[in-house]
Amino acid sequence: MLSNDLTTLLREHNLGGEPAVLPPTVSFGSITSGDIGIHGTTVIAVKFNGGVINVGDRRATANFAIMYDKAEKVLPIDDLTLLAISGSFARALEVVRYLKTQFKYFERSQLQPMSLDGKLSELARVIAAGVPAALQGIGGVLPILSTFDPTINEGRIFFYDGMGARFESTEFGAAGSGSTQIRGVFEYIVKTKGPFHLMSREDALREALFLLDIAADLDAATGGWSKHLPLAKTITADGIADVTKDELQAIVEDIDRLHNR
Amino acid sequence: MVFNPFDYNEANRHRRDSVEDRLREGSPVVGVSFDKGLIILTVRRSQRKVFEIYDRIIYSAIGNQSDVEAIRVGAIDVAHKEGFDRSPDDVTTHRLVSFSLSPPLKRIFGDTFNAQPAVIRAMFGELGKTPEQDVFYVLNYDGEFSQSHGFAVVGGTQEAEDKMSLSLMGVSGKTTFNHALERALQAWAAGSVESRRKSPSGDDEYASEDEDALAKRVLRDELKQGIVEVGVLDRDTNRESKFRLLGTVDLEGLLSSYKQE
Repeated sequence: MLSNDLTTLLREHNLGGEPAVLPPTVSFGSITSGDIGIHGTTVIAVKFNGGVINVGDRRATANFAIMYDKAEKVLPIDDLTLLAISGSFARALEVVRYLKTQFKYFERSQLQPMSLDGKLSELARVIAAGVPAALQGIGGVLPILSTFDPTINEGRIFFYDGMGARFESTEFGAAGSGSTQIRGVFEYIVKTKGPFHLMSREDALREALFLLDIAADLDAATGGWSKHLPLAKTITADGIADVTKDELQAIVEDIDRLHNR
Repeated sequence: MVFNPFDYNEANRHRRDSVEDRLREGSPVVGVSFDKGLIILTVRRSQRKVFEIYDRIIYSAIGNQSDVEAIRVGAIDVAHKEGFDRSPDDVTTHRLVSFSLSPPLKRIFGDTFNAQPAVIRAMFGELGKTPEQDVFYVLNYDGEFSQSHGFAVVGGTQEAEDKMSLSLMGVSGKTTFNHALERALQAWAAGSVESRRKSPSGDDEYASEDEDALAKRVLRDELKQGIVEVGVLDRDTNRESKFRLLGTVDLEGLLSSYKQE
């Protein structure tokens, strides 16, 4: 058998369901029937002059209960792809696990990496496969995919709607319940301080953390940083790197000082 | 036709001889474990020979191209199915070789009526957390396999493999990357010289030369046409993928000293 597709492989061995291999999961988000656009989280992706920065809060909720305050919502898929996840946490982790294996399986068996377009379609398929579950309120996922495109030497950000439609954003992307509250702030930053893709890494990171702070203020399901630092990763031509705790701590303290906290 | 145990043994012997005959010319494969990772090195003419199987497993082989490919694809399929279904931690070379790959090879080899035996001698290298946990498996066309630590060799003849093992004595977890490359290349040359000998007694065109000078000459000649290929598994990398494939360009520093007259 010369297969290049993990789903086919799993199906042949009677593993996983149809059509996506992902099992339905218990929701950690605040998704209700017919309302698949709302998720207890805020994840933010902004460009900077060397690539893309992703930041995410660390709160996982189930309705009004805060279940977990060390959730990791910015996850590497491969050396050049980051996924910032919102929605059902359990299902999102399965999506990440599936995509990771799928992309690696393709690359290893076909001896060439999957194209960016191929990866984006794969993600769209996974989201579309989750629509029935999302409509029942158990397990919708809305991710933002960030990548570094070596062919144009620039970072790229893609976001999706609940049905799996894909959009490319020129400057920024956000997902989760806090994202709607801060949409206008993104526009304000671009109009007053210039586009994100021209900012230095430090400036862009600072703006992203400001945005996250505002989201935590305005959205009950988005965690602030009083207990745990947010999670931030960058993606550049050299691949994915963590923003160190020290660097985050310094900016966070600075923002707190500005607010007299 | 009367069929008795004698015929069976005789048939097996013939099969063994014919497979060994076809393996004799194969360009040797050397695996070395070092402080910061593990390499598999070979010199090839056309087709790529060193492959990534899974997160911590690499593979190379001598033999019939389609058999080499069949084992590669089979190993990748089993590893990814198991890694997704259970956990990447459960994918080990031990399970892969002894439960998934060895039994069918043994079955094909023993089936003197219906099947052509596979023409392959394969090497798997598995990266551990420390050099002591690195492990190599050598899998034979008849399903036999052996496990080793520190280094492993695959060559066209038993004599070639003995020479290579001798050449690699003393490599350890303290060996550095450059040193490991050098030792692997020397072992490759030793094996290559040995498998070219027409008779084990040394009564051939290479008989008059001193071993070291001979190995150097063979290496120099081979590097004019052949391509040195090295697969590396990096122990300490932060990248999502631990595997790198090095070609002639990456190895210029190492090879330049061997290319000179």
